[in-house]
Amino acid sequence: MSTFARLWHEHRLVLLAFAAALAVTLFFLVRTAVFWVYWSDPARRDLAIEGWMTPGYVAQSWQVERELVGAVLGLEPGEARGRTLGEIAAARGVPLAELEAELMAAIAEARLGE
Amino acid sequence: MTEWLLPLVPVWGLWLVAGTTLLSCLALPVPASLVMLAAGGFAAAGDLVLWQVAAAAFAGAVLGDHAGFLVGRSAGAALLARLSRAPARAALIARAADYICARGAAAVFLSRWLFSPLGPYVNLAGGAAGMSYRRFTPPDLAGEALWVGVYTGLGFAFADRIVALGQVLGSASGALAAGAVATGLGLRLRALWRRPERPGR
Repeated sequence: MSTFARLWHEHRLVLLAFAAALAVTLFFLVRTAVFWVYWSDPARRDLAIEGWMTPGYVAQSWQVERELVGAVLGLEPGEARGRTLGEIAAARGVPLAELEAELMAAIAEARLGE
Repeated sequence: MTEWLLPLVPVWGLWLVAGTTLLSCLALPVPASLVMLAAGGFAAAGDLVLWQVAAAAFAGAVLGDHAGFLVGRSAGAALLARLSRAPARAALIARAADYICARGAAAVFLSRWLFSPLGPYVNLAGGAAGMSYRRFTPPDLAGEALWVGVYTGLGFAFADRIVALGQVLGSASGALAAGAVATGLGLRLRALWRRPERPGR
């Protein structure tokens, strides 16, 4: 009996588990590469403003003054801590997209001024 | 999952961080690495405090690991005792348990951060094999400190890139863990391959 046939006969589970582990490894390697390439695109460098972000987070990731973001949202200093844009939009009764547009316009203006 | 989980990070803060690391150390499918990255990012944004985020993540992880270890010690050990009623199996199980107790510290340390998806199973196996706290806890603390430090630190440093980091690191750690399992099984197969054919077959 060939060695492979013997292994298949006596240790089928080990062989199958090995093949499965190899397949999973390959899958995750490809996935890593795909994400790597996707996020390497300079167009995707800036994290779009989203509802889960706080005003401070927006300021941090777009490298603008925290006060600027607060001013656009009409918040007192310190009022923004720990509140997400989604909550702020809901409290003001405006759609999140509107807040995002206002913020993007203010950020673009601030960056131009630099 | 990111859509509903990320907005909770600044609101629930440290409790959410500690809760997700705890559950992930029990093999529950919660994105602990993404939560730690996000919490690090919120610390950079001034919504949370970095050392508190790291401490909460660390406390949750260590608690979760020891809970899994404890389950291994009680339920796992009982299961092994039952399986060991067959004498042939008993020898094999005893050998595996001895091996884990002697060499398990490195497995515990590496499965905290480098092969982190394997961590929960190492906790169960270590507990079932009768590993002592003296051998389990120090590498657990060291490994979790590294895991927590890397993810919260990266989130803090690259707050604007956390989604990208989460996806790339998540996949890479899956590849590392599966690769470690494949390597272990491959070595076992090589040993079986070289073993001469049993007589009478």
